[in-house]
Amino acid sequence: MENKENINKYGEINLVHRMTVIKRIIHWTFFLAIINNIITGFYIAYPFLFFGKTPTQSDSLSTGIVNSGETNQAFIMTWMRDFHFIGAVLIDVIFIVWLYLAFFSWKEPLYKSFLPFGDKLEEAWKMIKHYFTLKDKPKTGRYQDPLNAFVFTIFHLLILLQMLTGFQMYVASFTGTSAVGAWWPWLMHFSTDWTLFIFGGLTGVTIAHLFIMWLIIIFIAYHIYIEVWRSVMWKEGDILIPFGGYKYIRNKSETQ
Amino acid sequence: MDNDNHSCDNNCKEKKPAFKWDPLRFISKNPDEVLKKVDKRLDKLEKEYFKNTKEKENNLPNIFDIYGVSRRDFLKWSAFLTSTLMLPYIFKPRIARAANILTRTPFIWLDMADCMGNTEAFIRNANPTPAEIIINYVSVNYMESIMAPAGYQAEARRTETIKKDKGKYILVVEGAIPTGMDGKFLTIGAKGDTGIKIVKETAKNAGITIAIGNCAAYGGIPAASPNPTNAVGLSSVTNRSVINIPACPANPVNVVGTLVEYILTGKAPQLDNIGRPLWAYSGRLHDNCYRRGHFEAGEYVRHWGDAGAKKEYCLYMMGCKGPFTWNNCTTAEYNQDTSFPMRAGHGCIGCSEPVFWDRMTPFEKPNADAKIIIPGVEATADEFGVALLGAAGVGIAAHAIYTGIKKKNETKKSSSKKED
Repeated sequence: MENKENINKYGEINLVHRMTVIKRIIHWTFFLAIINNIITGFYIAYPFLFFGKTPTQSDSLSTGIVNSGETNQAFIMTWMRDFHFIGAVLIDVIFIVWLYLAFFSWKEPLYKSFLPFGDKLEEAWKMIKHYFTLKDKPKTGRYQDPLNAFVFTIFHLLILLQMLTGFQMYVASFTGTSAVGAWWPWLMHFSTDWTLFIFGGLTGVTIAHLFIMWLIIIFIAYHIYIEVWRSVMWKEGDILIPFGGYKYIRNKSETQ
Repeated sequence: MDNDNHSCDNNCKEKKPAFKWDPLRFISKNPDEVLKKVDKRLDKLEKEYFKNTKEKENNLPNIFDIYGVSRRDFLKWSAFLTSTLMLPYIFKPRIARAANILTRTPFIWLDMADCMGNTEAFIRNANPTPAEIIINYVSVNYMESIMAPAGYQAEARRTETIKKDKGKYILVVEGAIPTGMDGKFLTIGAKGDTGIKIVKETAKNAGITIAIGNCAAYGGIPAASPNPTNAVGLSSVTNRSVINIPACPANPVNVVGTLVEYILTGKAPQLDNIGRPLWAYSGRLHDNCYRRGHFEAGEYVRHWGDAGAKKEYCLYMMGCKGPFTWNNCTTAEYNQDTSFPMRAGHGCIGCSEPVFWDRMTPFEKPNADAKIIIPGVEATADEFGVALLGAAGVGIAAHAIYTGIKKKNETKKSSSKKED
């Protein structure tokens, strides 16, 4: 009796599987790696000396605790760069896996919801209209909606740019060879030297790397907001997807 | 190194060149063959430029006596140059011979649009090293700043050298070449020839063409934005291969090293992708800097003359462009091998990189404080990024408020409908 009332009120509730375990692991590793790289990247670009030792801070108790003492005990920049590189390696691996899954995922390949295929452009436009009119909610389907697919792709392209500009800065300290052989710096030069011409030298590449980070931060803000907004407005548990992998499908919507 | 060469006699063929950037590797893979060829070339040049053995042997001592440079000083210097050139020790006497020959090699030094800073760096020295002395005593056939002839005579000297020593003379060009208005921004000499014409004429028959200083190599300051004279580097106006020795001014060691190598082999050294000799420009300043430890330790100079500056902390936050610059200042130092910018307490300004006047500024602020090049935006990457993020935040907040109000209105409507 009660159940029926609920069905009348909220519509019939079904489950849809959206993220596999692999994808959820990827999502949260990506999250941690990007947050890590934003913080350490800020430090590398402009060493905020909250942790570090400055001539005036070296004797102060509060800031000297983190690293006080001799130069050889500090090495804060080394740690920051180390963690930045570790995060970068994670991001690189994840990007490649994402690229693979975008086409060959059994569960939900991204290309199925990507813009140039079928009437996806119209669907994406409908979603934008829905954001601003709160009417005509597009039907929740098996795959993610085209607008999100498009935004995620843009985001991954930004990540790719970060990878390439990052490698260009990384290879700058190589002198023609490396511990694993000369192919490694050659590969990095081969794949990333064009950034020097696009962004105007190594300094330009550095600044581009810094600026693209801001675009990624903006994406993070948008991403969190829109997922919370969907959870609130649609009442389909969108925010649960990266945790449990499932969301609900309701055949009724308040905004219809 | 010396011992290596002796033990090499038996199984030389198995040995591979020890250095990737061994500048002489173009000659032969067999070290013995390399030495033979170099010796042969040196013998030939010595016969050509010196009348007899006495003249050959007294040449350098005569020059160095004037400056009070002893034989020992010269030997130390030739050992230094050998190691700077990344050559084995066995080349040391050959380098000394090459330096001797260099003083007699016909030589043309052209000055284009520049401040003559490189000339000044070479000829005005309180305690010149052998490198600077040799540069001063090369058989200069044409160099505006130090030659005795003037006007038509000077021009005649140049054309005569081009004709007489075709394919043998060393051409050093200093300064950018303006190409706007057919190069009329720069006219030189009694006939008022344009710089671009003179350079093309002279470079055509040169044995080796060297662009010295950032202006000649990449355009430098004359080519800085907006570049009204349309100035370019030497390699853009001649189809000869040009050896770029950038920096502002170029280090005499790098110039003499390149010239000595030319004397030894008759060829240009191995160059990197922007035409600089690899033996001099393969190391990044940041990686070879003696303050690198402080960089890694997070110890930075915050203001000029603060406690960190006194302790020689890293100049990264004072805008040092060492991480973006390839040169050998940290090893083959400036000012008679005594100092380089970071040792003097100022950051590198990246003067050996192309377009440094535009790309490396502001010189005394971290690179992150440089303005981004997006039309209509006058801000650093961080300022613009924060502005964009703020705009996005305002948009998000506006959308959230809009959603809330609209939803409230709708629920009111629907609840009022129900009441009806």
